[in-house]
Amino acid sequence: MKNFKLIFSLAVLSLVMFSFSKIAPSTKYKCMVQMTNYTGEGAYIAISLINPEGEYEKTLYVQGDDEEWYHDITQWWKFQGKVRTNIDALTGATISGGERAISVIEIEDSKIDSGYSIRFETAVEDQEYYTKDVEFLLTSESVKSKKEGTGFIRYIRLMPN
Amino acid sequence: MIISIWRYSHLALAITSFVFVFLATVTGIVLAFQPISEQIQPFKIDGIEHLNVEQTVATFKKQYPEIITIEVDANQFVSASVITKDGKSLNGYFNPKNASFLGEKPEVSNLFKFTTNLHRSLFLKGVGRFFVGLGSFLLFLIAVTGSILIIKRQSGIKKFFAKVVNEDFAQYWHVILGRLSLIPILIITLTGVYLSLLKFDVIEEKKEKHTIDFQTTAEVEIKPETSVFKTTTLDHVETLEFPFSTDEEDYFTLKLKNKELLVHQYSGQVLSEVKNPIVTFLSNWSLVLHTGKGSILWSIILLIACINILFFIYSGFKMTIDRRKKTVFPKNKFTKDNADIVILVGSETGSTYHLATAFFKALLDKGNRVFISDLNSYTSYKSASQLIVLTSTYGEGEAPINAKKFLTLLNTVKQERLIHYAVVGFGSLQYPEYCKYAQLVDANLQVHKQFQPNMELFKIHNQSETEFKNWATKWNNIVASGLDIANLKVSNKPRKEQLFTVVNKTETNIDNTFLITLKPNKKLKFKSGDLLSVIPKKDKIERLYSIGKIDGNIVISVKKHEFGVCSNYFYNLKKNAQIKAVINKNSNFNVPKKAQSFIFISNGTGIGPFLGMIQQYKPITKHLFWGGRTQQSLKLYKNTIDSSLKNNTLTSFNVALSQETSDKVYVQDILEKQYTIIADVLNTKGVIMICGSIAMQNQVLEVLNKITTEKLQQPLSVFEQNKQILTDCY
Repeated sequence: MKNFKLIFSLAVLSLVMFSFSKIAPSTKYKCMVQMTNYTGEGAYIAISLINPEGEYEKTLYVQGDDEEWYHDITQWWKFQGKVRTNIDALTGATISGGERAISVIEIEDSKIDSGYSIRFETAVEDQEYYTKDVEFLLTSESVKSKKEGTGFIRYIRLMPN
Repeated sequence: MIISIWRYSHLALAITSFVFVFLATVTGIVLAFQPISEQIQPFKIDGIEHLNVEQTVATFKKQYPEIITIEVDANQFVSASVITKDGKSLNGYFNPKNASFLGEKPEVSNLFKFTTNLHRSLFLKGVGRFFVGLGSFLLFLIAVTGSILIIKRQSGIKKFFAKVVNEDFAQYWHVILGRLSLIPILIITLTGVYLSLLKFDVIEEKKEKHTIDFQTTAEVEIKPETSVFKTTTLDHVETLEFPFSTDEEDYFTLKLKNKELLVHQYSGQVLSEVKNPIVTFLSNWSLVLHTGKGSILWSIILLIACINILFFIYSGFKMTIDRRKKTVFPKNKFTKDNADIVILVGSETGSTYHLATAFFKALLDKGNRVFISDLNSYTSYKSASQLIVLTSTYGEGEAPINAKKFLTLLNTVKQERLIHYAVVGFGSLQYPEYCKYAQLVDANLQVHKQFQPNMELFKIHNQSETEFKNWATKWNNIVASGLDIANLKVSNKPRKEQLFTVVNKTETNIDNTFLITLKPNKKLKFKSGDLLSVIPKKDKIERLYSIGKIDGNIVISVKKHEFGVCSNYFYNLKKNAQIKAVINKNSNFNVPKKAQSFIFISNGTGIGPFLGMIQQYKPITKHLFWGGRTQQSLKLYKNTIDSSLKNNTLTSFNVALSQETSDKVYVQDILEKQYTIIADVLNTKGVIMICGSIAMQNQVLEVLNKITTEKLQQPLSVFEQNKQILTDCY
């Protein structure tokens, strides 16, 4: 009886452990952002995963590492500012007009072809803010494509690794 | 007037920018440690200047299937962003020689983040940045006005780094450190302003655009020999971005310090080259110079400059406050027209106000009708019979700030009565133009019909209270104002008197001179040449005696005058008696540490400090010259001198006795004969110290000048300026 209890609790424990340590399969993508030739400060860019309901699901990457200015990316900050997940490892420097930056982002495979989108929103100090500078559905086709931007971004390119 | 404009702007700028400068400086001190803490991290790989880009790319490609960027920072640390064989992304520092991962980039500590933010924007974003930029500009102007003040003060740009006379701690170090940190401060402020202007788009950083014609690149031949990757070494690289995909139209972007290149990913051909504009170049340098990035040495210089700025804030305000305190006259009880005695003061820094006020109050106490004001307010005085001018001199004989108008006014204002006058000049013997303005005032009054002198111009060195009292006594004897000298309370600092025990006292010799040895009851630090200040109860006038330090005791040589208050006070002391006195530091007459050879010249009781100095082991070579009256006079000091000669702490002793022979030999006469010793000592940076009577000093200096001009082809003033001639005469 005692043994059974022990085995049972160990089984439960390992199940719990397993389910915690289990990582959903995901893929890394190279993502290049090419800016237009605007003048002014470097742009802050937030790249987020958007669920089928159009709500923020996860921050994928942020170009711009000074938290002081994050609230300029208004919509995203309403989400990130609240949940405050640790994004230290997901940040890079701001990108100025005409420049480009390549970053590596990670998306769970289950989010592809299932109604999720990727959103690039941009803000420049004392200039416009574009909520949807670039936004498109994540499909197995779109994750290896080039998309034109509507604001400070000229285009973005995505490529699975 | 010119100087006051600069001084006022220096002060006004300091007051307006004080808060910003203070915050920026304190945060700057903290931030100076950031580049230092970065540099000491173990990510530096030596020899990257021998590694070219091609090798590095090959090394990385062998290790990692995917490379995004490789960067080289100001510390010459190589960092990269790669994806490993098992699909993980890896960011951090790498060893470029074998592409091994060294470690993640440590996060900038919250302290530095917080401080950086405060430093550049005071947490006020754009507005804050503007104010900090402005503060930086104001500090730049402060540095410029400060330099102008130094140039004026030193009278000429060539003398910018010449010696400064140390009269006041705050003032002296403000000038000394100001000169030393001028260049770093100019660099910090100018780069700070530049970086602000950059932020506000006043200076625009316009980069040329790359243009690529892929039509022509489609058929490029591979010419690896000429490839830029081969000719560029890693230390010149800022970043290397790898092509986004294997697409031929994707290329390498190679950013170097001075240009940006797009390089074909297969042929290695340069597709486009854009030179960085001069603005980028300046921006990079500004950032490096302002932050100290990449150089521990420069960071430390910046740190020291910041600490100096803090000191300038302190010393600058201290000087201002001191001056304000000092430049206030007591309230006049009598108007200018019903006062008998008029005191007019000329002072640049306000130190003369102190003595003037004490004098004014002492006169008032005895019921005199006195009026006090500054020299610039000179006007007609209807019932005045006495005028007293107390004035200092500024720079090279110019009028101090509140006396600039006096000489003009003197010739325009008419006095109704004949006025008797006396002029007292204040200054420092260390300036060549000692009391020059006071001389000018005295001369102008002398030729003026309405004025008649009471007494000669009286000069006072270093605001000496004793001298001032001496003058006041003389003046009082002429004017009979009933002045009570003992009531002339000048110093407001309480005297910290110490107790001393009389250890020994000799009898008077033939010249009425005796030696008295005192032992401090508490342990005190002092050196031979310092001064013992004694104020006898009887007359309350301070006396100063030059100290000779022998075996930790104070030895002074005193000449007993028949009616001398202090000399009789000393003479009547019994062994083991206790006396109260103060030791005044006198660094101008201590043995300088650096010099190797010395000549001590004295007459009479002037030998006092030297009795201590000849017993010290250092310096090595010491020659003593002494002038006295008879063989008997020498007896008092003979033991000390003989033991010093025996112990080799004294090289030679030369004595001149004026009353022994008929031809009256004085100390200057034996000096003339020993000119080789003098020339030798001065030539080898040795020092001559003179102690004794003023008359002896003047004659000795004359002889010395003759020796230096004839034997060394240089006037004595050259050595005086080098501080090779030290005097303490009375």
